[in-house]
Amino acid sequence: MSELSATVMNLPRRDAQDKLRGRTKYTNDRIRPDMLHAVLLRSTVPAGRIRKLDVSAALRCPGVRAVATGADAPGLYGIGIADHPLLAIDTIRYHGEPIAVIAAETEEQARAALAAIMLEVEPLAPVFTMAEALQPAARLVHEGWRGYEVITEGGARAGNIAWEAKSSRGDVDAAFARPDIRIVESSFTVGRQSHVPFEPRVAIGSWEDGRAHIQTSTQVPWTVRNVTGRVMQLSPGRVRVTVPPVGGGFGLKFDASIEPITALLARMTGRTVVLENTRQEEMATCLCRENAEIRIRSAVTAEGYIAGREAVVLMDCGAYGGEQVFLTTMTAHTLGGNYRVGATRLVSRAVYTNTPPNGAFRACNGVYNTFALERHTDEICGALGFDPMEFRKKNVLGDGDLGATGQVFEADVLGPMLDRMEALRASTGTSEAKADGRLYGIATTVGTWFVFVGPSAATVNLNADGSATLVTSGVEIGSGTMVQSLPQMVAGQLGLAPDQVIVREADTDAAGLDVGVGGGRTTVSIGAASIAACAEVREKLLRTAGEMLQTRPEDLVLRDGRVEITGRPGSGMSIPAVVAHAQATIGPITGSGAFTARNTPAMSGCAMGHFIDALDIPVFVVHEAEVAVDPDTGHVEVLAYRVVQDVGRALNPRAILGQIQGGVVQGLGYALHEEVTLTADGRIAQDDFETYRLPLVQDVVPVAADLYEGAPSMGPLGTKGAGEVPILAVGAAIGCAVARAIGKPVQQLPLTPPRVLRLLHEREPPPEFPHIAPGWAANTLG
Amino acid sequence: MTVTFQLNGEDCRFDGDPMTPLVDILRQERFLTGTKAVCREGFCGACTVHVDDEAVPSCLKPVGLVHGCAVTTIEGMSSGNQALHPLQVNFEAADAVQCGMCFPGMVMSLSAFVRDNPHASRPEIKAAMVGNICRCTGYERIVDAVAECLDQARKAGQLVGGIHV
Repeated sequence: MSELSATVMNLPRRDAQDKLRGRTKYTNDRIRPDMLHAVLLRSTVPAGRIRKLDVSAALRCPGVRAVATGADAPGLYGIGIADHPLLAIDTIRYHGEPIAVIAAETEEQARAALAAIMLEVEPLAPVFTMAEALQPAARLVHEGWRGYEVITEGGARAGNIAWEAKSSRGDVDAAFARPDIRIVESSFTVGRQSHVPFEPRVAIGSWEDGRAHIQTSTQVPWTVRNVTGRVMQLSPGRVRVTVPPVGGGFGLKFDASIEPITALLARMTGRTVVLENTRQEEMATCLCRENAEIRIRSAVTAEGYIAGREAVVLMDCGAYGGEQVFLTTMTAHTLGGNYRVGATRLVSRAVYTNTPPNGAFRACNGVYNTFALERHTDEICGALGFDPMEFRKKNVLGDGDLGATGQVFEADVLGPMLDRMEALRASTGTSEAKADGRLYGIATTVGTWFVFVGPSAATVNLNADGSATLVTSGVEIGSGTMVQSLPQMVAGQLGLAPDQVIVREADTDAAGLDVGVGGGRTTVSIGAASIAACAEVREKLLRTAGEMLQTRPEDLVLRDGRVEITGRPGSGMSIPAVVAHAQATIGPITGSGAFTARNTPAMSGCAMGHFIDALDIPVFVVHEAEVAVDPDTGHVEVLAYRVVQDVGRALNPRAILGQIQGGVVQGLGYALHEEVTLTADGRIAQDDFETYRLPLVQDVVPVAADLYEGAPSMGPLGTKGAGEVPILAVGAAIGCAVARAIGKPVQQLPLTPPRVLRLLHEREPPPEFPHIAPGWAANTLG
Repeated sequence: MTVTFQLNGEDCRFDGDPMTPLVDILRQERFLTGTKAVCREGFCGACTVHVDDEAVPSCLKPVGLVHGCAVTTIEGMSSGNQALHPLQVNFEAADAVQCGMCFPGMVMSLSAFVRDNPHASRPEIKAAMVGNICRCTGYERIVDAVAECLDQARKAGQLVGGIHV
């Protein structure tokens, strides 16, 4: 356990000083005067057929060096299904879709030349909503859906249903037919959420020695590499991606979007090309957290046993499948999480519409399914007369309980965490007095999330000065993993100080495959690969030192920059002396490590169309909110917020608490005022900071948090991802607290003042889903 | 039109459209990229600079209006290896930084505030921060660090920014 004591610490961030001095060069700070500027021609209709696209006049405009269209990058990309062109080919599927791109000496020249592109579009009747898309006679957003390359097999697809995933365990019909149960049914609807990273999507492309080099603000350099290869029909090995510090991601940059365009233009011009979304473009084409519609029914006995549960979840993927295709999987683990259920069946559908494509956003899918599940749980408690806290304590997942896909959960985690929340509340006290005559509500909710494990690679080079260089494809997006947990772990393994660990920023030419910084996976997956690389380094180091000291390697330890004989502090020799000897005898000391998912199986036949059958590393949270609702204005004030979070092992508790505060506040925005709506012509209406209401400093409270350690994890040193999950149950806690405060059912987020007023006065129509059939099976493709 | 002003203590001359936003000159012509252009509409505060010691969003400031003024950017707050401003010291010590893009603007806005409001309360600090948006941190740690900075200065009998009282 000495490794652990040498690893756990509140290490400060090494990048803080430069960030505070304004010296950090994010991608969009690297624009130089000799670069070409690219500007996109974007669609001004939501659906149409391109009848004519002539760029010859634009090519003759002053300063223009290249113009590209879909014909120049004919490959399609996607997650699960390759349905997405880089630039529209023949068909326009959303307002804002890129159609052509101009590279010119200045941005003004590129923008001026847009007007010279001859474009004729035959408008088509747009399909804006999932209700429209699921009509039997609906126009197909993708007429050629059958012809797309299927990258991952297994999902059912048909027409406007881009992907369908199902889970089914036990005899649900029998559970609902029991004479001793009551059936509770609830419907929920949620809108989109825009990430608003301060650095928009931006890329700088060049063409070097016959290969593309893209510098970009991304969470997934390997995806950018592979997608660029696909759309340009190049071997992906001919694409290099490097990643400067990223000015915020939150999931938006967990997929490729505009980056390959810069490589395309660089190849055409031989020049370095920069493409940066304006704030308006960034928000109008944000790969938002998807809007979703949820119907959930449960069969519950008078004793409070959940005998059966079934649900239909519709997820709007927008014009292209993207992340939602994958995220259909998550419903089994989020809406299907939290509670012990007798028999269950869930279907989750990603639905095409003529709206801007949606994508990944921190705790994707989980945020709204947890809201729906927790509000539904409160409705069960209301209908059957249970105390909500007691009902949760009785029913939360524990040791040996089955998940929706038949996964067997290990250890009691949520139950003890609920007890810890009560202890936390006892220590902080409650804030009812601050309601000051307004309607007061308090709610405690639970949530189930996971670590998106997946493959990572790491190399560690031990240097002659005793420092170690860690080479991975990890990216510092602000969460601190590259500047805190990873150097802490490597230092702990090698007996170094964390400042002796140099962390290379991502370069796909230098480091092996990695599936990206997201899904709470960096500390776990890159951390595990790094520890494996350190094991090889240690072995070589101790073997060499053993020869030098005439001591068996197993009697040596690494501590304080020295190789010491166990139990004799100060003995042995310094690491640089051993490295110097090794360089002259066996060569430089390096180690490589790899890690990937365990791929915990589902129960046979329980998971269909799933990208992940079961959770390798479940992560649980308990969130509690206290709110005051002004009955005159509908304004919701958050009076207090408390979190108990399952972190496995906290390597840097202070950094985790910072992630909890930030994640909860993003969740408060989602729950209360971040609202995305579509205009009549299918545009995102909130495309600037005036119309999209982000949380401000006066909206927030300090979050009281307790880190729950010790739950099982296959993560290195027992860690779990801690940065993604803090947003998970905020919509749930706020939704339940507001419902209790106003005494009305909350079925929709965000709870803006006008919506809360309508709820109070019973003028808010409940969600109606005529496109969801009453029988569960009728909502599946069979 | 020619506009001349002091930029981080040196003479700066601009020939061109006086309506050009100051932020564009800082970033595109002087390569002072510490000033961040995030919303370009005056909502986010990330492009805040000092014009004659007052904190202003440089996206809304046409360069023609800084003629004859002294402009200080984040780079001018502590050049080279000079000591950090006490606010920067406290932000670093509190582990307040995440992605970091809002912080140059936070430092510029709040350095003017703490200079002028050495006895500010926590609600007053929050009121002063309404023009600076942060998408990562959830703010409270920044507020804590500002309060700590003021507390330290009061104990040391100094105004923040080093002017003895």
